[in-house]
Formats: sequence, structure tokens, C-alpha cells
Amino acid sequence: MSLSQPVIQAQRVSRTFKSVKKKEGLRGTLELLWNPEHQEHRALDEVSFEIEAGAFVGLIGANGAGKTTLLKILSGLIPATSGSARVLGEDPFKRSMTFRKSISLVMGQKAQLWWDLPALDAFDLIRAIYEIPEKSYRERLDFLADLLDVKALFQTQIRRLSLGERMKMELIGALLHWPKVIFLDEPTIGLDVLAAHKLREFLREFNSREKATIILTSHNMEDIERLCSRVMILKTGKILYDGKPQGLIQSGERQLKVSLLETPDLPAVATLTGLAPEQLSLTSEDATEEESKPNSNHLWISLTNDQIAPTLQKLMSRYTISDMGIQGQSLERVIKSIYETESRETGSKA
Amino acid sequence: MRLQWRWAALKNGLLEDAAYRVEFIIGLLGSAAVPAAIQMVLWYALFHVGTGETPRTEIAGMTYSDLIAYTLVSTLFTQVRGGDHDFDLQEMIRSGSLSNYLLRPVGVVEFIYLRGIGGRLFTAGLCLVVGAIGMSLVGMDPTRLFGAMALAILGNILHYQVGAALATTAFVWEEAYSVLMVKNMLVQLLSGELIPLNLFPEKWAWVWKSTPFYLYVFGPTQYALGKWSHWDLLQALGTAGLWMLGAWLLIRVTWGLGIRNYSSLGQ
Repeated sequence: MSLSQPVIQAQRVSRTFKSVKKKEGLRGTLELLWNPEHQEHRALDEVSFEIEAGAFVGLIGANGAGKTTLLKILSGLIPATSGSARVLGEDPFKRSMTFRKSISLVMGQKAQLWWDLPALDAFDLIRAIYEIPEKSYRERLDFLADLLDVKALFQTQIRRLSLGERMKMELIGALLHWPKVIFLDEPTIGLDVLAAHKLREFLREFNSREKATIILTSHNMEDIERLCSRVMILKTGKILYDGKPQGLIQSGERQLKVSLLETPDLPAVATLTGLAPEQLSLTSEDATEEESKPNSNHLWISLTNDQIAPTLQKLMSRYTISDMGIQGQSLERVIKSIYETESRETGSKA
Repeated sequence: MRLQWRWAALKNGLLEDAAYRVEFIIGLLGSAAVPAAIQMVLWYALFHVGTGETPRTEIAGMTYSDLIAYTLVSTLFTQVRGGDHDFDLQEMIRSGSLSNYLLRPVGVVEFIYLRGIGGRLFTAGLCLVVGAIGMSLVGMDPTRLFGAMALAILGNILHYQVGAALATTAFVWEEAYSVLMVKNMLVQLLSGELIPLNLFPEKWAWVWKSTPFYLYVFGPTQYALGKWSHWDLLQALGTAGLWMLGAWLLIRVTWGLGIRNYSSLGQ
């Protein structure tokens, strides 16, 4: 498969889960026996996209947004209820041997290694399973161990390792067969700052050297910002955004903080600047304790780039400005804002 | 046949069991000694308690020493029988941890078996040595133990296969554990590990003969004790082979049907 061809294709992929509704109490439990009530949950709703070879894609979404379900479908663990998914030109759910040898799925909360054995024994089993030639196995093991700095721990029982060390071993186990496509589900979950940083550096290096296609889900925006050239934001099973992370930040609103010599009157400021009242606030999530006090002289304005200059001009015509600053727009804030906007729109439609 | 990964899985399973050596040995001794002691007390009671001046000489064609010999020899094969890998499999399906194995390029059902069977094979070797020494000491032919152990090992595989087929109910029913419990109860009764199956009334013999469970303990014990001929053993091995083929087909069908309902829970 050439680099320009998509390695992953999803066309109107949907997935519904059916489960039994368990009511509370003894009566609810007994009712299950003769009259079980079923409920359906749509985890993915007609999701379509393509991913090119060598891409590093971040999947973002709140709990229950459908990220893990999407990874499970693409890796072949579960089938889509409708629509079609192709990975490396194959139907993932058929799980052909060549497909299984070409992909890897790492779930941050699930251990694949043998709890009571040293990692080296588990790696040796993986070598046998994937029929990795001895020479390549040694080279890859050395390469991965150097990148993750864990060689000294190879002969320690897995259960005696720290969470971060275990996660690194899991990653080595998942990559020893040199997969072409890697699905990472919350790989930095529970790791301390240093371990997470090391893991990110490793993933970046692996992606750039081996040209492996990587899809990563994470609640940690630092993972996404530092690693991914493309992000997809999921909400209730639908893709809200699919593009570059920078695109998200540039198109988003920015926050202007202005310190005045007097406490501003918000309706008056709205009239003066022509901004909507909901764009103005006397406090902010980013405000310090001092700035959040009542009768503070700080004004927080949410606006787009092109609104900044005219707004400042109008403010200066009426108020004396003692200080001002523009908050850097973090990906986390943008995503939160997208989620809130979407919720408002959905709410108003309902 | 790719033997390398099979050997590696077996070896790792054995190494994992060896990580808890004392637990392993105590468990082995406990599971052998307690049921054997209960059976021996029971046989003594049947032959000697409340029988007055003339104790019974035979029950269902078996003398007191026949029953003691049966208990001692069957204990060897009871240790080889079973294992809880089918319970592991159904728990993996139910909890979603099956996902850890589904994407490996090996058969999951076989992998789960191989990684758990190392300890049983070690036990089989141990039983073979202990049994051979014991039988030599009492003047019995120890070579029969090898054929009997071969049947017991086929019984172990078959036991897992039956369990694995039943475990696939976990794809559609959360309480598949209970199905495996019932299977194990039936196995305890019909494998000959609690009582020799010839104690069953003749008219009920069809019950144990119509399941494969008698091949696990009763068959090997009968052959080791010289009650079965070599021809009987060959027939039993052939019967075990047929049951295994049937169980393999059953697993393929139930697995193929069930896996579409797998929801990979737990994340």
C-alpha cells in the first residue's frame, strides 16, 4: 500500500449496543427473570473519514463519545452495526492472520503481559506468535528499550513494576511485530508527567521513523497537541470536527483581559463596543483569586481576532486602561467551547 | 502447524505456575488427599461398619481392596482431569478481557488452553512417576500407566473443549458461569472421580456411557488396574478422538455465532 492511499476508511459507520435494563431493588431483579426490558445505545452514528498512511490522528471526546468503540471497530474487535470500515484494505472484523500481524491495539487500562513473569518471557512469546526472526527481534527490542529506557527492568516481574514502567512494557509488547497501524487508547492514563512525556517522545519518534499510522484517543490535550497532525472530535457518536489542531485554535474565540481604573458596567460596555452581553464578563475560569473578587476592575471579553482592535479603540474612548492581555487559546478550551456550543444548539433544537 | 508459539505459551504457563510453587504443591496435595480420604472412609464403612460377624465381601462386583485400589489410582488421574481454563474463557468474554487475545494471530481458544495447561502436564508427569513407583511396589504392571495417562490427557483436552463450547454462551448470556458449574458437577459424578462407575445400577449405565466424561478418570483407572484390555484402551482412545472432533466442530460453530455478539466491555 503506497503512502498516499488511505490505510483506514470508514463509511457511515454506526454501532448500537443493546443491553438489559436492570431496575433497582429486589423487585427490579425479579422482573429481570420474567420480563427483561432492553435498551439500545447508539455509540457511533454514521461516522465517515479516511486516514492516510503515516498519519498521527487524535480522537477526542468526552466519556461515552464513541472513541473507544471506533477503535474497537477499526481494530476488528467488534463489528459495525451498519456502514463499512476498511483497514489496510481489509474488513477488520474478519481478522485475517495478515491483518492481525499488521495492527496493534494498546488499551491503557488493560494488561496484555503476564503478571507474574518478567517482561522478557512475555516478549519471547510474542516473538514466537508473530514469527519474528531472532535477529530482527533483538534489534527491535534494543531499539524500543533504548527509546523507553527500560532495559534494566526486562527481568523484573511485571507485577513489581510501577504503572508507568508497565505501560512502557505494554507498548514494547504491542510494537515488537512492527505493526503498520497502531491504535492507542489512553496510553498515558495514570502516568506521571515525566513518564507521559517520555511516552509521547517515544510515540513521536516511532511514528516518524517507522511511518506507522497511529490513532490515539486521550483525555490529555497535551498528548493531542504534541503528537497529532490531525484531530477528530467526537460527540455522542458523531464527528464534530476533523482537521488540524491548529485550525481549531485559529478559528476559535480568544479571550481579552482588560484592567480598568474603575469597575465597568457590563451593559454600558456592551452598548459601547457593540458586542453581545454574553461575550463580556467580570470574571473568568482563568482569573486569579484577586481578580475574581467582587467589584474587581477586570473585564474579560470573548472575541475573534478581527474584533480585538476595534473593541480596544472603543474601550479606550471611554475608560482608562491600566493593563491588558490576550489569553493564548489552548486546545482544551477550544474543545470545551465546541462541546458547549453543540450542547446549546442541540438543547435549543430540542 | 506452528509449534513455536504453542511451546512458548506452554512454557510461560508453566513458569507462571512455578512462580507460586508452594501454593501449587499444597493445592495438588489437598485436592488429591481430601477426596481420597473421604472415599476410603466410605468404603470402610460400607464393608465393615454394622455388618456384624461377617463383613461384606463384595459390592457391585468390587471387593474392599478393589475399591481402595480404585481410589488410589483414580486420584492420579483426577489430578490431570480438568482445570478451570473454560471458566477463564467465559470470564474473559463476559468482562471484555478477551480483547487482549483476539487480535493476536493465534487461535484464542487454543491459546487460553495452552497457557494454562503447563501445570497439569507437570502434574501428569509427577503422577506417572508416583503411580509407577507405587504400582511396582505392590506388584502391579506400571507400564499400563502410560496408556492410561495418555487417555487421561486426551480427557483433559476434551474437558476443556466441552467447557470452551459452553463458555461461548457468555457471548449472549451474562450468567454462563452457571452452565459451566453444572457441567463440572456432572463431570464429578460421571467421570468416576467420586465413585467407580460400576457402582451405578446396570440399568443406569447408559447415562455415564453416553457422555465422554468416563474417559477422564474411570477409563484410565480401569486400564491401569488391568480391568480393561489393550483393545478396550484403543477403543477408548478412538472414542475420545471422535468426541474431540465433535467438540472442535461445536466450538467453531458456537464461537462463530457468539463472537458477533461480543461487545468488548470494560473500557
